[in-house]
Amino acid sequence: MSFARRQFLSLLAASVAVVGFAVATPAPSQAQDKTLKVRFYDDPAGFDPANIFRIENENIAFNIFSGLTTYDSKTGKIIPDLAESWDTDDNKTWKFNLRKGVKWHKGYGEFTSADVVYTFNRIRDPKTASPYAAELANVAKVETPDPYTVVIELKSPDGNFLHQVANYHQGQIVNRKAIEDAGDKVRWNPVGTGPYVLDFIDVNSRIVLKSHKDYFRGPAPIDTITFQIIKDENTSTIALRNGEIDLVMRANREEHLETLRKEGFRMNKVENYAVALKVLNPAFKPLADVRVRQAIAHAIDYDTINQATAPSMQKGTASFILPWMDVYTDDIPKYPFDPAKAKKLLAEAGYPKGFTVKHLNTSAQGVTELQQFEIDYLSQVGITMKMELVDTPTFNQKRNAGDFEFATRLLPAVNPDTILFNYLHPANASPKGLNGARYDNPKLTALLEGARAEVDPKKRKAMYAEVQKIALTDLYYLPMYANHVIWPGKQKVAGVNINYLGQVNFFEVDVK
Amino acid sequence: MLAFVLKKFAQLFVTTLGVVTLVFFTLRLIPGDAASAMAGDSLSGEALERLREQMGLTQPLMTQYATYLKSLLVLDFGQTITTGLSVYDLMKSALPITLLIALSTIVITVVAAIPLGTLAAFMAHKGRKGLDNLITGTAMVLDLMPSFWTGLVFLLFFSLTLRWFPASGDVDMSDPFSVLHRLALPVLVLAVTQIATMARITRTAVLEVLGEDYIRTARSLGWSELRVLFRHALKNAALPIVTVIGLSFGSLLNGTVIVEFIFNIPGIGSLLVNGINSRDYQMVQNLIIFYALIFVTINFATDIIYRKLDPRVTF
Repeated sequence: MSFARRQFLSLLAASVAVVGFAVATPAPSQAQDKTLKVRFYDDPAGFDPANIFRIENENIAFNIFSGLTTYDSKTGKIIPDLAESWDTDDNKTWKFNLRKGVKWHKGYGEFTSADVVYTFNRIRDPKTASPYAAELANVAKVETPDPYTVVIELKSPDGNFLHQVANYHQGQIVNRKAIEDAGDKVRWNPVGTGPYVLDFIDVNSRIVLKSHKDYFRGPAPIDTITFQIIKDENTSTIALRNGEIDLVMRANREEHLETLRKEGFRMNKVENYAVALKVLNPAFKPLADVRVRQAIAHAIDYDTINQATAPSMQKGTASFILPWMDVYTDDIPKYPFDPAKAKKLLAEAGYPKGFTVKHLNTSAQGVTELQQFEIDYLSQVGITMKMELVDTPTFNQKRNAGDFEFATRLLPAVNPDTILFNYLHPANASPKGLNGARYDNPKLTALLEGARAEVDPKKRKAMYAEVQKIALTDLYYLPMYANHVIWPGKQKVAGVNINYLGQVNFFEVDVK
Repeated sequence: MLAFVLKKFAQLFVTTLGVVTLVFFTLRLIPGDAASAMAGDSLSGEALERLREQMGLTQPLMTQYATYLKSLLVLDFGQTITTGLSVYDLMKSALPITLLIALSTIVITVVAAIPLGTLAAFMAHKGRKGLDNLITGTAMVLDLMPSFWTGLVFLLFFSLTLRWFPASGDVDMSDPFSVLHRLALPVLVLAVTQIATMARITRTAVLEVLGEDYIRTARSLGWSELRVLFRHALKNAALPIVTVIGLSFGSLLNGTVIVEFIFNIPGIGSLLVNGINSRDYQMVQNLIIFYALIFVTINFATDIIYRKLDPRVTF
């Protein structure tokens, strides 16, 4: 009782003090080490590679862990990470030669091939319940002839396999002892071999990373990175302008970007990070007709809309695939803005007076500016687009179940096969996978599977080109725009190279 | 007295059980669950189902309810569904911050609003309408401004233009200066509205009393105007004011939810919003019960203070 009263009194005293001294308080002094403060925009959800979600968490994990391979920040190309080199003759048996002398964080010893086996088996173990287990479903066995060699045998050939063992999700190598030591708190005790070590985390306020002094590429230039959780974008913009933080992870509001650009902040940017698609669900009768789907594509002028609504964030595109991907081709069916043609196609399909279609979206986003334009463009060819706004979890649930007429999807990936397989392969039809339109074209499916197995890069590329042609003719997925990711920061923060997964490798970042 | 306490306690128990049950089921009526909230944009339906199983969301509802009641009986708040953290630990670190904000706001409010309201009443009583109108008018306008808006305006003005207070940063309870620096703005935002409300109530209450006979008697005894006002008038006008202080604590708990979001304060308001957004039933259930308990306690305290202030009040 008296303890409680004392606590109460001290709280009361502190309350009174708030009034008196708040204004006079000096700013907290800076530490001696090189530091960086970065805005983090949501609650951290943990960093266990087997159960990691959302890009902001993945970005932290990307700096803590390493994969056998990783991505070059600027080109998106696969480069060596824990594996120094690899070879395969048939895309079926992959041999990886591992780096020697790589040190785990926090004194967990040296990295060896046994860690690779443990990691992949852990992902595939049903007890782990990893949503990424399917990514390794093609693995038949993992063998370790010696501590620095790993041989992976696949069930069927996969020319894109190096993506599956990259520093992302299932590819991030973990340490058995560290996982066992962490018990049921694995997600909060990540131990990797990457450039930064998780030093401290308060899920309500901040995440602190410290440089891993024994990192195999040498210690990172910055000693301490503090990720400050700031959810509101107004607040994060003010915090950057005030100098409270040095870098903003993902700013999304055009008006803030404008202000920051004018004030001379460095607008770190990656273009063409991912393509946003409109899913046209054929379960809704009018959309089952290819002429209607093509009419919709002709009716909306995405180039103009994107230029008007978000010139620094996104731009119109005709392709599923991004220009920096090796299988990108410009030789695809395109649907230039042509309302007259749209009307003609609609009439041919038996909808001369159009129809009414519902567009599913989250109430958090509301009716976006882009959608307001879409409503207007579609009304000009007689189609009435109504918005159905639901909260985010409901949205995810309905969209996953295929319970919608129009919806949108954005799937960031470095591997073009990830995009094409997820959207276009019938095995991924909703509710199981991301193929929300339940698209199933046997010819295309055969090409997709063939391209995976094909060893000759030229033939492979031709097959993927054919896949894109068919998919864009059938047009169950309509490309709306490619978007950009922007991390505004102070001029003195250099080396913020956002990769094509929207992540920053902080090993490359320095404060001048 | 013992019978009184026992009766109150039985009431408290029934109320709490009602709250627990209501919260448990209504939470699950909201579409979507922790798995789909966690998954973000690009997880397939199959992977989502795995996640759901892992989080224990596929168990029958009544089984979940029974487990929950059992854990409550032994005061085990459990772990958050989404992140596996101890709910008790989260609340323990967040609570002092929110309490500090709420109590500071109440103290500032009482210190500022009661003299202001009394002054306005006095001016109105004397027929000097100018100052009264100014105070009442300003209070009216401030009272109607929503705190998410005042929050943003204060942030722009005090943080960006004047640079007096930071917009972000830690709230480290072991460093009082940083705490003061960080909490000053949110407290100010909340206090502005509270002061406005309470000053208006005080004015009305005091004004009513000023016309009473005993005030005239006090004046005729030659007491100074200040003494009459604060010793005699205010004391007799205290009941409605105490009611409002009690009530305002409730509205303050609402208010902290908003300012904690705008100013990035890791208090229980933030926990609640995060819990709801991520559909973390475990988190929200326990927090709401906690909120309910706070309300019940405050009502209880208000009752006791009533009795002290006015011996005529009985229960």
